[in-house]
Amino acid sequence: MLDKLSTQQRTVLAIALSLIFFIVYDYFMVPKTRPMQETNSTTVATAKSTHTASAAASQPAAPTSASVSAASSQPSKTAAAPVQKESFEIVATVDANEYHAQIDTLGRIVRFEVRIPRFKQEDGTYPNVISNQNPLKPLEIRYADPKLNEEAFKTPFKPDRSELKVEEGGATLMLTQQLSSLNVTKKITFFPNGTYKIAVDMDKDVEYYLSPGFRPDIESDAYTFKGILLREADGHIKTIEDGDMEQEQHFTGVQIAAANDKYYTTNFYDFKNGMDVYVSKDDKNDPLLFVKGLQHYTLNGYIGPKEFDKLAAIDKRMTDVIEYGFFTFISKPLFIFLKYLHNILGNWGWAIVALTLIIRLLLYPLTYKGMVSMNKLKELSPKIKEIQAKYKKDPQKMNAKMMELYKKHGANPMGGCLPMLMQIPIFFAFYRVLLNTIELKHAPWFGWIQDLSVMDPYFVLPVLMGATMFWQQTLTPTNFTDPMQEKIMKFLPVIFTFFFITFPAGLTLYWFTNNLFSVAQQYYVNRIFEKHKAAKEASHG
Amino acid sequence: MRRAILLFLKIYQKLFTLIGYGSCRYYPTCSEYTKWQFEKNTLGAAFWHSSVRILRCNQLFPGGFDYPVVKMNLKRKELCNSYANQNGFIVKFWLYPLGDDRYYLIKVFKRENIA
Repeated sequence: MLDKLSTQQRTVLAIALSLIFFIVYDYFMVPKTRPMQETNSTTVATAKSTHTASAAASQPAAPTSASVSAASSQPSKTAAAPVQKESFEIVATVDANEYHAQIDTLGRIVRFEVRIPRFKQEDGTYPNVISNQNPLKPLEIRYADPKLNEEAFKTPFKPDRSELKVEEGGATLMLTQQLSSLNVTKKITFFPNGTYKIAVDMDKDVEYYLSPGFRPDIESDAYTFKGILLREADGHIKTIEDGDMEQEQHFTGVQIAAANDKYYTTNFYDFKNGMDVYVSKDDKNDPLLFVKGLQHYTLNGYIGPKEFDKLAAIDKRMTDVIEYGFFTFISKPLFIFLKYLHNILGNWGWAIVALTLIIRLLLYPLTYKGMVSMNKLKELSPKIKEIQAKYKKDPQKMNAKMMELYKKHGANPMGGCLPMLMQIPIFFAFYRVLLNTIELKHAPWFGWIQDLSVMDPYFVLPVLMGATMFWQQTLTPTNFTDPMQEKIMKFLPVIFTFFFITFPAGLTLYWFTNNLFSVAQQYYVNRIFEKHKAAKEASHG
Repeated sequence: MRRAILLFLKIYQKLFTLIGYGSCRYYPTCSEYTKWQFEKNTLGAAFWHSSVRILRCNQLFPGGFDYPVVKMNLKRKELCNSYANQNGFIVKFWLYPLGDDRYYLIKVFKRENIA
């Protein structure tokens, strides 16, 4: 069917299709509501306020290797139930320079506020990393034996003190629980950087599971990853997104077990021995993380923002918690380099400009060659026109003849498919960097650009981008098979402007500076070439 | 698989080439080359040759004419039969022998079809 359409019809079709795509994409992908925002900012700040847990906490089931189906179906039935009367009191508060945490009667972390001014939310409150969306909380213990489990969820832990001030070197909280057949102690040592060490001791060997909690729910949008991330023994990263969890899964030798939202994480890590991780699910098919415990078991954990330097300070491998999706292998080095430039320049916007410039300089020898041979071809333009007229109806043949001409004159003006195709992964990788790194959140450039990770509120950058693209086109000599294609090319900057409107300002900035440098380079090469020609003519004449 | 790739290439040629129009340094263009490869070569070989071709398509290489090379055994019976059974066929590709059952694959231009 497509073959029968004229070029004009095809153009209309192409534009219509891309418009439809974006409308549909916008409709489905842009989140209409911001769930849990309110729940996060509700004030539970006072130490003695009660924390209500939903029914699942009172009847939880641990994932058992023996009873897979029971384990995964049990929480799904109970989690759907509304909040029950049962509530768990806050028994201890933890205060450090950069956070404030609360421990409830089950020895779980039920609130973790990141008290770093730059992470303050729009409404002025500090973000709480512990989600209220799911009853599963960090440091929750679930037993394989249902009877024991039920008893454990009804029996409170007793803390050795109710207030903890975290200084350099850490502060330790001892929690003890006496069950009819079992004595449990949880020793939690908090460190100032958001990490903690949990040591569980039982006087009998029973099968139990410890959880780093449900993923944070501070900022959710449809574009970024929410769910769990595992770093396996071989360094392989396994991710399971919310809603994608099907069957309970078991992993051994896991080094990091993290539950993430866009910018925050709660995780366990053990690089030395690895962990025995069970992933179960809730009623929405969201993955839930559990680590199989031992009679005397020690683990490390981290709760807080996925800030590169902070994570790298804990362990280099911890930076794998920052998830960029498919193009991680480009995104990660890209971000590290961008961060390096930011350290020098002190501004993420200028760092992006510098990055673009550096990429341009690296590619300079290549593009220079292309521009020179493009200029050479200007002299051949009558011959090119002749070929174009002659083989108008068969573009393949025209291409062949054109290639013959290039060969004869030893010039090939084309940039090549590789540089063009390479732009695509870099573009996507960059997009993910802007979207996923907390460092770039609220990162200003100057003037009207106050946040590079969201769209330009005044559409200045997209328009500038389109304008420079048009400018670049007027400078680039092209040869078109037919006039229609030429018209499409002319329209391209307009299409791109609309295309870029909703993109993060940083991405538009990247493309805009890229165009700008390319124009500058073209001018430069053209001038050199003209000088050359003038000199040549002078010597001849 | 093969059909999915060919469909993808068709869409790519129709829509995406507009953006990067006229960047290929070769004849046939990378997308065309890839199409021929997937039409006539084995999947693995087509993947390999197409990838190498795209990697070569930059300013460090001279560009120019670069036809796909395919390996096929023309003496194979079914191949002969399939052609012999048709009276009045359309030539789509020329095969230029390179020896060892290897051939340059050269697609005919539009107007050269034989009735």
